[in-house]
Amino acid sequence: MSSPHSTDQQHEAIRRALAHRHRDDSGSGAIAVASLGLWREVNARLAPMIGARGVDALFGRSLQLTTPAYPWLALAVEQEDSAAPLASLAARLEARDPRTAAEASVALLAAFTGLLATMIGPSLTDRMLDPVWGPAPEPPAAPKETTP
Amino acid sequence: MSRPVSIHQLATGVPGLDAILGGGLPEFSFNLIAGPPGAGKTTLAHQLMFALASRERRALYFTVLGEPPMKMLRYQQQFAFFEAGKVDDTVRFVNLAEEVASGRFEQVLARIQKEVEAFGPGLVFVDSFRSVLLEASPRAKGGLSPQEFIQRLAIHLSSWQATTFLIGEEPSASETQPVNTVADGLLYLYQSVYRNSMVRKIQVLKLRGQATSPGIHTFRIGGEGIEVFPSAVVPGDTEAGAPAAAVPRREGRLSMGVPGLDAMLGGGLPSGYSLLVAGPSGSGKTILATAFLAEGARLGQPGVLVAFEQTPSQSWSRTIDDLVRSGRIGLINTRLLDLSIDEIVQRLIDLIHRMKATRVVIDSLSGFELAVAPTFREDFRESLFRMVSVLSGLGVTVLMTSELEDRYADLRFSPNGSAFLTDAIIVQRYVELDSRLKRVTAVVKVRGSAHSDELRQYEITEEGIVIGAPLAEYAGLLSGRPMRILETPEGRPR
Repeated sequence: MSSPHSTDQQHEAIRRALAHRHRDDSGSGAIAVASLGLWREVNARLAPMIGARGVDALFGRSLQLTTPAYPWLALAVEQEDSAAPLASLAARLEARDPRTAAEASVALLAAFTGLLATMIGPSLTDRMLDPVWGPAPEPPAAPKETTP
Repeated sequence: MSRPVSIHQLATGVPGLDAILGGGLPEFSFNLIAGPPGAGKTTLAHQLMFALASRERRALYFTVLGEPPMKMLRYQQQFAFFEAGKVDDTVRFVNLAEEVASGRFEQVLARIQKEVEAFGPGLVFVDSFRSVLLEASPRAKGGLSPQEFIQRLAIHLSSWQATTFLIGEEPSASETQPVNTVADGLLYLYQSVYRNSMVRKIQVLKLRGQATSPGIHTFRIGGEGIEVFPSAVVPGDTEAGAPAAAVPRREGRLSMGVPGLDAMLGGGLPSGYSLLVAGPSGSGKTILATAFLAEGARLGQPGVLVAFEQTPSQSWSRTIDDLVRSGRIGLINTRLLDLSIDEIVQRLIDLIHRMKATRVVIDSLSGFELAVAPTFREDFRESLFRMVSVLSGLGVTVLMTSELEDRYADLRFSPNGSAFLTDAIIVQRYVELDSRLKRVTAVVKVRGSAHSDELRQYEITEEGIVIGAPLAEYAGLLSGRPMRILETPEGRPR
């Protein structure tokens, strides 16, 4: 896979996006909520394009790819046919210590992104998901000039 | 004074397609791209979309596919026209699976309307349209009928000033009938399989208000996407007006590059003529053709060679290589065996224009016939006629070679009856003379011109063809078994 970003960079972008969303609270609950928020955005970006079923299928496969490293996520896979696999994921994350929860969440999102890239190519994947992860950090910018 | 609405035509960006559409796609038209699975519909739609989409004219692509949209994106991005940078900016994909699964046309229509209003596209694609009808119609009870659905969709999208493409299956399928009626344009794509060759074909069955190019055209799908080869249309085939005189024939005659041959032709080959060189294997047809091109190159008249011969000799290759490398002739050398004649003609015309060529050689018609996909062989003679007409319309002088069987009993010049198509004929034959196999040649016809009627012996040397003396003292040369005419005591043949 030849992404313009390396896998590490992608990991980093996802980690940053997650951290950005729970910056005021480093508890597992906040990480779970932040993860849920990211997944909802991913879904909102992708479902129109590849269909809700397409997103669900990729999500299921990503969980499966992530469970060897985080076996406690496996329960979520089993409950995948339930109405709310995301709610189940949030519950799993909340039950873990913050560091493990954050690691697992980033790993899962990264697995999903990698999987999508193997399907529709890295450039289209970046195009669709980069807005979710947000811009890379820049040095503090000067105040915006208003153009007449 | 009546002022008809002026319909802006969109250049499709698909090579050859605008020509068969009669100039381009009418803006705000409602079109159907139909054909069986694998015909290239989705590829054509994507190519159109990426070529036409811009900031000012954005494109919305609704997917309701048998195949998952992810796969469609996966495969379409293999083509050079797929610009990932346009996705989500000027091109947007929207999956309608859920709305279609609801079984209600109202919901499908509402979603399409909502997306169209939100994105404001100038181009809308629905792929595949048949899936919408098949999925939704059996469940729609008391709701919109397929007919109403299509009409509303057409009205809605046209009033939104969107040029629309519905991608569907066979145009004859009963469920797509309503679409055919509403559609302004109907493109039909299919694959024709004959023996072990496959040829892709496209037809414009309908395009309101435009003079489309009738007939079946061929196309190819390569890394760049689709390229259409418009079927060669015979110029000047209208009833009224000047017949075929649109392109005036250039004055003058062309030198053949073989000493003595110009004189036999009555002073060279008239410019703009087509010449058939017929002869058995090894008689020197290719050598004559090469001399014709080399002479052109020498005189600053660029040429184009279409070569179908499989085993050109070393010296031939060298001469041709030199001419090609120095840019004095263009070469189409093909070993493909599933060509359409239109494809060759298209490439040839492009090359003639590019080279500003005045001399064209097709070597040989027999090889050409073999290279053409079997499905076209039945129409080979007609296609040849069209090709010769198109080339003569361009004003170029054409030399074609044709393999002639050594049948001494009958005098034929080509296996496919192409002799009548050409303006001039040179025949080459083997004869037995003094226990040797000798070559003789004669000019059989030069339309509208005096020419030699002599049978001349010739040799093939390192320098090329060397024409010798007339064989006046022999009779029955064409039978292959000439007899020396005995001389009378007065010294005259008797």
